[in-house]
Amino acid sequence: MVTVNFPAALQPLSGATLVVRESVHTVGQLVKALDRLVPGLAHELDDPLYNFAVNDELLLHNVDARPVKDGDVIEIVPSMAGG
Amino acid sequence: MGIRERVARLLEEMPRAAQFPSQGATLFVDLERRETVSAFTPLAVTRTVLAGRGANMYYLHRLLDESLTPLHPDIPLIFGSGLLTGLVPSAARGNCTSWSPESGVLLDSNAGDYFPSFLRMNGFDHIVLYGKAPAWTMIVIREGVVTLEDASPYVGMDNIEMREAVAREVGGTWTKNLAMVNITRAGENLVLTSGVMAGPKAVYARGGPGAKMGSLGLKAIVTLAQTHEFPTARPYKPYNRHIAQKLLATSVVKNALSKTGTPFLYKPSRMLGAMGTRNNQETTWTEGLDAEHFDRYRPGMEGCFRCPVNCRPLNDLHKSTPDKYDKGDGPEYVTLGKFGPNLGIDSVEAVIRLNNICNDLGLDTASTGSALGWAFELFQRGLITTKETGGIALQWGDAATIETLLFMTAAREGFGAVLADSTKAVEKGHYPREALRYLIAVKGLGQSDPHDARILKAFALGLAVATRGMDHLRNRATLEINARINDNAAFKSELYGGVVSAEPNGYAGKERAVRACEDIYAVGDSVGMCRFTTKLFNSPTLPGLEEFRTQIANVTGLEFSDAELRQCGLNVMGVERLINHRLGVRRQDDTLPDRWFDEPNPSGPYQGEKIDRQEFDDLLSRFYAISRLTSEGVPEEAWRKQLVGALGQT
Repeated sequence: MVTVNFPAALQPLSGATLVVRESVHTVGQLVKALDRLVPGLAHELDDPLYNFAVNDELLLHNVDARPVKDGDVIEIVPSMAGG
Repeated sequence: MGIRERVARLLEEMPRAAQFPSQGATLFVDLERRETVSAFTPLAVTRTVLAGRGANMYYLHRLLDESLTPLHPDIPLIFGSGLLTGLVPSAARGNCTSWSPESGVLLDSNAGDYFPSFLRMNGFDHIVLYGKAPAWTMIVIREGVVTLEDASPYVGMDNIEMREAVAREVGGTWTKNLAMVNITRAGENLVLTSGVMAGPKAVYARGGPGAKMGSLGLKAIVTLAQTHEFPTARPYKPYNRHIAQKLLATSVVKNALSKTGTPFLYKPSRMLGAMGTRNNQETTWTEGLDAEHFDRYRPGMEGCFRCPVNCRPLNDLHKSTPDKYDKGDGPEYVTLGKFGPNLGIDSVEAVIRLNNICNDLGLDTASTGSALGWAFELFQRGLITTKETGGIALQWGDAATIETLLFMTAAREGFGAVLADSTKAVEKGHYPREALRYLIAVKGLGQSDPHDARILKAFALGLAVATRGMDHLRNRATLEINARINDNAAFKSELYGGVVSAEPNGYAGKERAVRACEDIYAVGDSVGMCRFTTKLFNSPTLPGLEEFRTQIANVTGLEFSDAELRQCGLNVMGVERLINHRLGVRRQDDTLPDRWFDEPNPSGPYQGEKIDRQEFDDLLSRFYAISRLTSEGVPEEAWRKQLVGALGQT
């Protein structure tokens, strides 16, 4: 079971939190599983604005291959670096 | 040759009529003699560096006498609006340029709100100010007619009171037909971290423009004119609709900027372990300052002239008996970082209140926050004590003391006079030389934003080579923080014109990312486009060269190819480097604080990361090579001759 927390901008589609109960081993697999739960969510996540954090570790590259395991908490973090 | 001879020589070369539709005049104001004259920027200059920031550099290049000092009245202060300012959605910006009294190098600052657009509504694109007014003066431009008026009734006023008084006494309505740039007591007192206010919060900051304006005895420039449409070469409004739609469809605008504004940036930086904390001794801070914690204090959003984005958050602390600092505009991410983690403050309410005080006092929150963070670390280390601070203990997180220090800084009272000297505090004899080890600054300018760039090497290079000093708004390759782009090698190469390492902490190819950003941002500044809505700054899909050249052609009739426009951006940087070279800047100044080379990042997923000196030096050499710069960081001889040929000899 992997818990995914969403930012306000995505919550109309996803809600604040989704729990993925099917077996997933990478972030890439997780996104596909999320899309099965909420069709269209993968498309929304394919946006440079959104980064993934696995157990509070913000990922900046090699995201799809990043391992995830049962019990992990994933957060979708809108990421900007210039303001 | 004095300033008047330089201006006279320049005027001989300048046309007396507009060179293309929509071009406004350049107004020269001799404040000492109370004389004005106007002419137009030559077409060859426009084709080389455009307008706005670019043409400001032309005027500074021609009028600067580097044998003087920055606050000498013969050193001009220049305001300029972009080629598209006031005509295109989100193009509401202008620049303010001089020789910085804070850093000692180029002063160049960009702001929006309404003044740059309303200046153009009065028929002026640039104002060049010089000479010291015999008494405090206010320039008033009413429907294009310029008068120099007595500013003595406004002396001693800060921003809130000044705006109320001017609206009452000059007439007009803010955001409708009235706009102003003005200094506060801090500018009058030559505080080196003082800005020129351009609205309730908008400020020409960085490098002490407030002090420079104060040194000329100029309290304000007020414009009063009805807004109108410009005669243009071709219809431009249909394409404006395309630009507005593109802006509003961009995810970063739709889902972040127009919802909460820039405080969104705080969270990814702290999670990454890149949030400059306690003067960059640490790199992460409380989640209690994440943007959502500001939601209940944000009654709405506002924006600049004809900008559909509206990214400026308003604030209200909902006090039952509020004083004037319990409501206001902002904070932006820079202020949140500089007055939050940088000073060890973890309270949303305290950050908002300090933000509102800085807006009223006309203090640049980046430079002021940097000066405070430096002083607090020196106190922590015992390099200064209560003996130097006048009995004030500088304790991290003590917002009440920081509030007091802000007022002391604006008034140059007690230890405030030390803070008012900013990065010059060692040179002025306030701090021991050892204090420089803990100064987070480049080329004499404290870091603009709180992002600790030991991890992201493109950010580090950008901060090192920025022509005005340690500032992210000149060239930051912000997309280095976006994983989707890092993981799409082909797209990333297309964006930057060559291979750039996917690894945020790698050095390979990062010179290309900084070069591409520096070029397009300089073009954006010179046409008046906001950085937040310029391609490559937080999004790859915002308006860029294609949109700029299309609207330049529609508005002015001047045709540019993408390559020619990019060359204009490079030219702006080239002229800035020629100016800096005259001010003594060399390769050794394109560097970073020692802390980032010597101390490993203490937290986060990149714990242990720092800047490798040899790798950085190699990266700098590659950056110079693709930028057509010599090993000392100035334009190569052939290019220098081209620039001087177009802009004229100094």
